[in-house]
Amino acid sequence: MKTDTLIRALAADAKVDHGPALFLVGGLVAAFGLCLGLLWLLLGIRADLDQAMTNPLSIMRFLLSGSLMLVAGRLCMVVARPEGARLAQLWPLTGIAAATLGALIWAGYFTPTEAWQMAIVGKTAVNCLIAIPLLSLIPVALILVALRQGATTVPGLAACLAGLCGGGLAAMVYALHCTEDSPLFYVTWYGLAIAVVTLITTFLGARLLRW
Amino acid sequence: MQPERNLQTDDWESLLAAANAGDSRSYQRFLLAVTPVLRGIVRARGHGLGDANCEDVVQDVLLAIHLKRHTWTAGAPVRPWLYAITRYKVIDAFRARGRRIDLPIEDFSADLVADAGPDPTEAADMAKLIGMLGDRSATIVRMIGINGATVAETGQTLGMTEGAVRVALHRALKALAALRERHVE
Repeated sequence: MKTDTLIRALAADAKVDHGPALFLVGGLVAAFGLCLGLLWLLLGIRADLDQAMTNPLSIMRFLLSGSLMLVAGRLCMVVARPEGARLAQLWPLTGIAAATLGALIWAGYFTPTEAWQMAIVGKTAVNCLIAIPLLSLIPVALILVALRQGATTVPGLAACLAGLCGGGLAAMVYALHCTEDSPLFYVTWYGLAIAVVTLITTFLGARLLRW
Repeated sequence: MQPERNLQTDDWESLLAAANAGDSRSYQRFLLAVTPVLRGIVRARGHGLGDANCEDVVQDVLLAIHLKRHTWTAGAPVRPWLYAITRYKVIDAFRARGRRIDLPIEDFSADLVADAGPDPTEAADMAKLIGMLGDRSATIVRMIGINGATVAETGQTLGMTEGAVRVALHRALKALAALRERHVE
């Protein structure tokens, strides 16, 4: 087949698909709603939420996971474009990592050494490790669908960012249920849950996002 | 086909913007303008592949540009976008043929059009893939591409509405890309 022939066929196809941004924003809003609904139905929202919202350490959970979701989501939008691999600025992610580390050190400083172990292990680590990855299935799936509408030239990185964004959203929603307010607990277990989600998403998504 | 003399002077940004707004004449001019550049890049990198094989790769890239043209942001420069797609697809195509190539991005700024040489003969792969489509999809692609029929004429011949032909053509081109992907794996 001659190339001019192909070009004629391509030019006749006037249907232009929608860009990934619409799918990504819509997907994240939908995922947030669904996760919130599931959490409320299955686990319930903590009774002392209004009180917890006056505790800066508890608020930090929402800020850290929420900013992870926003920054990774924004980066997804950049790397969804073919030339985005060269434009993506990853340093805001290290900013979030530094803030997380700061919260951990702060809590470590103000918690007596003999209470560290109890603070880290907490009472609900297993719930957290099950609930966050399960909740994250919804946002991760929707983000990957949106990214497939794009044309990433770095499928591995795009999938990794999808995992971070979806994991962040799930952790933020789960924090509405969870009553463990110490950074020693939530940095450890939320962090581990998000890491697992990111690892699996990177592994599966790298193939899924090839085109 | 459009006269060749316009191709070098046209501004790719306005052509692609018009194309994405649904102007198929501008779109065809855009594709004709970028093809020699793509061919130059592929040939410069694909020593020993042969002209027909190189043209297969060029056609892969064109199909990818077509199906992903919505990822170009109106107002942004076309070339970084175009070269990123080209680089991704060229590396993919050579990998599929068992060759590893190194494709530094700086190479794309060089003007490779001069080396491109004459329009090559047939490329084989795409015709094979079209043969793997359903009968009606293959007929639509061939009628419009090879016979130069319009969407309206194709619809009349096949007893379909214009809208149905448009949808079928779009799906057929997407299916081609998917077939190619499976071929490559």
